[in-house]
Amino acid sequence: MVSSLAEPLLALRNIRAGYGEAVVLDNISLELADRGSLAVLGRNGVGKSTLLLTIMGFTTLRRGNILWQGRDITALAPHRRARAGIGWVAQEREIFANLTVEENLTVAARPGRWDKRAIFELFPRIGERRANKGNQLSGGEQQMLAMARALMTNPALLLLDEPLEGLAPIIVEELAGALKRMIRDEGTAVILIEQHAGIALSLTEDAVLLERGAIVHRAKSADLMKDAATLDRYIGMKIKA
Amino acid sequence: MIVSMFGVLFDGLAYGMLLFLLSVGLSVTLGMMNFVNLAHCTFGMIGGYVTVTLMNSMGWPFLATLPAAFLVAAAASVVFERTMFRRLYRSTDLDQCLLTIGLVFVSVASAAWLYGTIQQPVNLPSYLRGSYNVMGVTIGVYRLFLIGMSIVITVALVGALEYTRFGAQVRAAVDNQRMARGLGINVDGAFAVTFALGSGLAGLGGALAIDIVGLDPSFALAYLVYVLIVVSVGGLGSIAGSLVAAIVLGISDMAGKYYFPEIGSFLIYLVMLSLLMWRPVGLFGKR
Ligand SMILES: Nc1ncnc2c1ncn2[C@@H]1O[C@H](COP(=O)(O)OP(=O)(O)OP(=O)(O)O)[C@@H](O)[C@H]1O
Ligand SMILES: [Mg+2]
Repeated sequence: MVSSLAEPLLALRNIRAGYGEAVVLDNISLELADRGSLAVLGRNGVGKSTLLLTIMGFTTLRRGNILWQGRDITALAPHRRARAGIGWVAQEREIFANLTVEENLTVAARPGRWDKRAIFELFPRIGERRANKGNQLSGGEQQMLAMARALMTNPALLLLDEPLEGLAPIIVEELAGALKRMIRDEGTAVILIEQHAGIALSLTEDAVLLERGAIVHRAKSADLMKDAATLDRYIGMKIKA
Repeated sequence: MIVSMFGVLFDGLAYGMLLFLLSVGLSVTLGMMNFVNLAHCTFGMIGGYVTVTLMNSMGWPFLATLPAAFLVAAAASVVFERTMFRRLYRSTDLDQCLLTIGLVFVSVASAAWLYGTIQQPVNLPSYLRGSYNVMGVTIGVYRLFLIGMSIVITVALVGALEYTRFGAQVRAAVDNQRMARGLGINVDGAFAVTFALGSGLAGLGGALAIDIVGLDPSFALAYLVYVLIVVSVGGLGSIAGSLVAAIVLGISDMAGKYYFPEIGSFLIYLVMLSLLMWRPVGLFGKR
């Protein structure tokens, strides 16, 4: 397959979006190939979460359009986008507190490779806690469940909003391992927002840097990793290669 | 005295079960969708008139009319929901009250125009009439039937909400609409089905109520008061709360009318006031 000629899985064209009257994102264009992976980096409040919310259809879109597998989904309701194959892991995890762990998974289930059995293999801790309520989980377990729940929809594209934020190093390692498996072995396309720029860039192929609602830099992740000056300028951090 | 007490308890229980059927749908939709549907008892009234019409004009047996009462009330509620209610989901409580109380008046007037203002007769089949005498306590067969029906429905309802995937999706949507949509759950559809189910149960309650409280066009307004009491005492969105509140209110209403006939009709309000002073969010309410 010649990937450069193939239709992109997801394409944003000239997006302007925000909340009600407030415009947060402007002039955003990007493409993601099938099985592609993209890191989205940027400081706090630049609009990273808003970008994912816009792809899901939760923001006010003022301009531009969104194509999914070549089809215009600009006007499609969020639940239809999810059913079309876009999985979303929200920044705040948003586990259903009154549902059990198992119910959190079954409400999202759609046929495909990821079922409860496969999930419990990927995250054995989730399996152990299956009968617990969502609000009885630790932060790390919540994050695993949020990712597991999105996988239950058997997405072709997974949108991950800071999945490693605020977690203990050992959990970060476990989740990063699972992510790697998803991207490399399963071929799930991923858009990954992450404060741990080092991990994000090592997991992905491409990267964009966001500042004040606009894309200010595009690069291959491997190249950006070595470009300390750019990283320092836009996200104010140096990373160890 | 003891004997009459058991009699009052039994009749009160049956009456409470009736109130439960009439109100549980409102409790769920108010608690879940935050929609103030004062026209809820209109669906109860529709159910009642469906049963009366099918029995008296078309000769259907009573039991066969019950599913029809449920279905017609549910279908009517879907029409109302699609054409009117859904436009007001994001409006203020006042707008919702004004629309739905307006619908109550329209429905009262329509019923009076179609059926007249007289009480509608209902002829129960012989196997639902009469009573047993158990150690001096009179147990009416129809009231026993009412209690049995309500228990079956409660179990089915709790089962559907707690143990099915659809029920879990509804609970997920109540907890976090945006996340539910983001996972592919058709939140509007799930709420519409729930709304129809609740209205259908009111329709069933309205049909079952005819023999106990009668049916005339004022039903939609008169029972609104009781239903609102049940919902606020029970706590929004709680099925168990509605059940307990309905039974407590049913029994106190019966006891009031039996033991203190002078103030009988007021006792229910006293009970409501004291319960709400004790627990302002309702017996099982969370907010
Ligand atoms: N619901 C909302 N209504 C109005 N404005 C919002 C809303 N959510 C976010 N914003 C604003 O949009 C801008 C971008 O927010 P967003 O959450 O997308 O940033 P972010 O890059 O994800 O930040 P962080 O790294 O802190 O998660 C911010 O200025 C924020 O205040
Ligand atoms: Mg964010």
